[in-house]
Amino acid sequence: MGLLTRLLTARSSPVLLRLPPYLSALCIIAGAAWLLVLPLEGNPRATYISENAILPGQVHTYFGGSEHNVFRAYRQEVWQLSQRSDHDRIAGLEQILQENGLKAAAQPYSWQVAGEEIAGTNVYGLIQGPRADATEAMVLIAAWRNFAGDINYSGVALVLTLARYLKRWSIWSKDIVVLIPDDSTYGPEAWVSAYHSTTSTVTSTRNITSLPIKAGALQGAVAIDYPAGPWGQRFEKIDVVYDGINGALPNLDLLNTAINIANNQMGVESTLHNVPNHQDNYLDRLTMLTKGLITQSVGHATGPHSAFMPYHIDAITLRTVGDGWHDEMTLGRTAESMIRSINNLLEHLHQSFFFYVLLGPYSFVSIGNYLPAAVIVAGGLTVTALAMWIRSGKAAPSPAPGKKQVPEKLEVLTDGDVVAVVPKSELETHERKMFLPALILVGVHLGGFVPLYLLNNISAPNLPLTFYNISAVTLILPLYLATHIARHTSPQQLQTLQSFSLLLLGATLSTLATLNFSLAFLVGLLCSPLSFARPLPRLPLLQFPTKATPTTPKPTTDPVAARLAISLPAILLYIAISPPAVLLALNAYFGKPLAWTLLEMAKGWCAQGVWTSLVIWAVWWPAWVVGGTVMLSGTFRAA
Amino acid sequence: MKLAVLLGLPATILSAVYAATDPHEYREHLHLKPLPGGSLYAGFSFNATTSLGSYDKQHYRYFPRSLAQILHYTHTAELHLRFSLGRWDEETWGSRPRSGLREGGNGVELWAWLESDAERKAEERWSDLVNSLSGLFCASLNFIDSGKTVRPLLSFDPEGSLREYQAMQERVTGRGQGELQLLHGMLPHEVVCTENLTPFLKLLPCKGKAGISSLLDGHKVFDSEWQTMSVDVRPACHASGTSWECQLEIQQTVDMVLNTERSQRPHDDPIPRPKPIEEIKCDASKSYNGEDTCYPVAFEGEQEWTLSKIFGRPLRASCLASGSDTHDVSLAVPSERTVEVISKSTVSHEGDNSTRSYYLPDDTDFDLHLPQQVLASNQQESETASVHASRQITGYGQERGGMHTTLHNPHPWPQDVIYLESLPWFLRPYVHTLSLSAGTIKKTYYTPLLDRQRGTQLELLIELPAESTVELTYDFEKAILRYSEYPPDANRGFDIPAAVIRVLPGNSTLGAPTRENYLRTTSLLLPLPTPDFTKVRQGLAGLKKLLAKSKAGVNAGDESNGKTMQESSSPVKEENGRPKEHKKSR
Repeated sequence: MGLLTRLLTARSSPVLLRLPPYLSALCIIAGAAWLLVLPLEGNPRATYISENAILPGQVHTYFGGSEHNVFRAYRQEVWQLSQRSDHDRIAGLEQILQENGLKAAAQPYSWQVAGEEIAGTNVYGLIQGPRADATEAMVLIAAWRNFAGDINYSGVALVLTLARYLKRWSIWSKDIVVLIPDDSTYGPEAWVSAYHSTTSTVTSTRNITSLPIKAGALQGAVAIDYPAGPWGQRFEKIDVVYDGINGALPNLDLLNTAINIANNQMGVESTLHNVPNHQDNYLDRLTMLTKGLITQSVGHATGPHSAFMPYHIDAITLRTVGDGWHDEMTLGRTAESMIRSINNLLEHLHQSFFFYVLLGPYSFVSIGNYLPAAVIVAGGLTVTALAMWIRSGKAAPSPAPGKKQVPEKLEVLTDGDVVAVVPKSELETHERKMFLPALILVGVHLGGFVPLYLLNNISAPNLPLTFYNISAVTLILPLYLATHIARHTSPQQLQTLQSFSLLLLGATLSTLATLNFSLAFLVGLLCSPLSFARPLPRLPLLQFPTKATPTTPKPTTDPVAARLAISLPAILLYIAISPPAVLLALNAYFGKPLAWTLLEMAKGWCAQGVWTSLVIWAVWWPAWVVGGTVMLSGTFRAA
Repeated sequence: MKLAVLLGLPATILSAVYAATDPHEYREHLHLKPLPGGSLYAGFSFNATTSLGSYDKQHYRYFPRSLAQILHYTHTAELHLRFSLGRWDEETWGSRPRSGLREGGNGVELWAWLESDAERKAEERWSDLVNSLSGLFCASLNFIDSGKTVRPLLSFDPEGSLREYQAMQERVTGRGQGELQLLHGMLPHEVVCTENLTPFLKLLPCKGKAGISSLLDGHKVFDSEWQTMSVDVRPACHASGTSWECQLEIQQTVDMVLNTERSQRPHDDPIPRPKPIEEIKCDASKSYNGEDTCYPVAFEGEQEWTLSKIFGRPLRASCLASGSDTHDVSLAVPSERTVEVISKSTVSHEGDNSTRSYYLPDDTDFDLHLPQQVLASNQQESETASVHASRQITGYGQERGGMHTTLHNPHPWPQDVIYLESLPWFLRPYVHTLSLSAGTIKKTYYTPLLDRQRGTQLELLIELPAESTVELTYDFEKAILRYSEYPPDANRGFDIPAAVIRVLPGNSTLGAPTRENYLRTTSLLLPLPTPDFTKVRQGLAGLKKLLAKSKAGVNAGDESNGKTMQESSSPVKEENGRPKEHKKSR
């Protein structure tokens, strides 16, 4: 009781009531600063191999010698196949796999996205480990077209040569699947999805045939991206690509194994996110962190390996970079050593981290150290939400200021010897009218599904137009809500509405932070100004004459110019952080055509199962609309 | 008691002398058959018999005493034990050897008919049997507990004449042994290796020193593409006049498919490093063919192989000095294939067109050499397998999954198959989701699981329409195990035993074979939600530290630090000991 009394007394403390906005701002700044602190000397941990069974680079690799001659022939063969029709190409690839004693099969797939068809045929072969018990398998991938869209001549040839070479060994504890998908994103997606489904339920948007040959549970996948043409090209570095769909990451052990093998066993420098000459200084680490943050938050596939992540299969892509002196056999031996390491595993990769932020090939930050950044930012929103809730429960200031001040009623609380006298109004909670705010909130959230649906279902040529329309509607919607709905709501209801919205946003983002940290962090940062959205001062200029109340406007103390000076930057900032504006800005920054971005987003949602669009339109967008409604409600407030 | 044994002794000798004339027989046979794709099938079989009379009096000659005593003690009338590794490639190699009757699921499989008058008694005897066999074969057979034991109704029929055997036993011992009960257990995760082969060879009269068993070397047997070892004991009774003559037969087989190229690699350099380019045949017809570019040509014709090179050791002389009247080695190759027999005293016997048979010499090694050859006629057509089956787990995630079995009938006649699935208790099938894409389920026997006590047993009699692929699917839920129930390497997942498929003899008027055959799917890996054990251990260590500190606080002063630590470790021990108590209370 003593504590309670003290708390009740503290409730009325003016300092405490003024604290939330500052606390909220502090949270946002702290969250952003947290990330900047992470790359500081001493914070990142050095990577290490946690799973003892992997033994990276401990085996002698024998891929070489006459295999090089075979590789050159296969590269020529792949080039010849590329000149022929799709049908012939698939038959040709299957034939090479079969000649080498693999069980080969093809899998056609197609998706209908935005009126366009994504179609292709995956070719794959299976090396059944003679001594394996068919319960486990690993995948070696070379997509026919790499992620950039070039034909992966050397990659495919290398995988075919490796298939021939690996088939001769009897040491495999797992089967080896050699997969040559048609492209780097949707082919692997179709393959791995068919691998885990019973029968492919053919729908108008998804048409994936089931796999005729299957092996056991997939334990790991290594993809090779080496688009050098039929006469070859030596490379300088190996870029290890690791981001999965929806920001899922492979086990850190697999990544470390690749880097360890490339650097220590093969002597090839390996990079991440294609950051060259990583000097392990603050700036390089920050660059790496930012690149990782952006890739992860987008959540789209970054290579053939990405599709495997949602199925809890650890996968990476080895991408050759630059013009150097390492030849294809080095890449082949790297892949061989990787396969040997995965083969060593007794258990599924589980020892090391699944949640990490890489700051360099040899340094990382684990979830315990980076997660607070996103949670603090989300917490900033929650703090405002709670403050709004408390404020909405307070009795509105006396309705008629002109009336004589009635002395406040006091209440005496006793706890043993302690006696406290508290104004009665502090103990009473003003009744909150929550139905309307809740209804508006639900309505706005449901409304978010309209752009989500439209942008993922309208045919590709109409996408930009639809997007511009949605942008226009998005900008008008808060205005409309402010003039039509907010006018009929009391300030208390507006506070409740904002409280609900921010509470939901804060809770969603802190949950999302555990799934896709980067997306939660970035959306949190972009939404953080919303926690400072308050009704703007009234602008008589903007009052609709018809809606104007007949009462004579009160003489105002501050001129219109001052009000405009407050309102205009606020509204401009508000527009700047709107989802469409941010999307357009990012689009302009990366120099991609809008149509392309929108189509990729639609493809991501429909064919890859990327949830980023949902977060944008069903989490971020409603919060933004509600924030604007609250803000503009002041502008159009009836005097 | 001792007196009785002493008195019984002359009778034993007498019966031994009497019995030696006929029922103690031993035969061994090796069948070799090159398979498409550069593989060689080698099927070893070793048969020994003993009369029931000698068996009851514990007199053995060729019949392995160690095994017989176990069977005697556990009242096992018929026993089938399998050790298997790898997969039979039906597509390339055709139908299974011995109609799949001597194969098991991956790992170890055991089924036996036990005599007992009560179910409890049968379980006790089964437990005795698996524990004894576990010791005999150095396999973890003792892990076949009630949770892994099923009692199939349709899938297995006794091979021996059990009824007559029982009648005989009753007459000899003077008391009925009760009903015969079939129990079946599988251990899919058991890795079959040399330590199982050695006790297997010790059961043979020549113990791998002579005869065809001298070829069996662990390095080669377990480097094969597919390998299975079996031990089968069954009573065989023949009517002789008014009464029955019963024998106990043991058949031991080792079947394997060896890759001729890999098996013949030199012992000191088994690494398949790339061959020198001169040894690779290049396709000169390719436009890019050149000094540094070589498209390898697929091998054509028959590969060269030598028996002693493939098995890494020569075949020593015949096991039984007297020799047997049946041939010991048979080789199934087309008549135009050149076969060099490297042994003087061997009598070669040309059988029908495609099989050659050889008697083993009594005193010298025996070897066969088949040179590389391109045969005029195409490779012999391998017989199509009766049914193709594959089984996979579908879905992902920690909670649910699905089982997906594909049964393919390649023949133009419908076939009846019995599909037996024995699932561990932590895989909980939703039987209402069981569905068949084509064909009909004629009979279903289903025993639901009991948590931690009994797994699911599902037996289906399915009719597969002619030339069709039937998909059998059902969904299941994954149970969450207790912390202590996880095995070592828990993150590997849990092995689900193979499904046993028995193809029933078909209607001969349609051209279907009249012999039944068996096949098994591969075993599966079921990932279960697995706790982070390092965290549990950290937690326990933290608890330990906390308790130690609190206790040290209470007993501050006079007690030494070491003692406090010792005492405080007891809660942790209790934690680990608890599951054992659970088991006992059950």
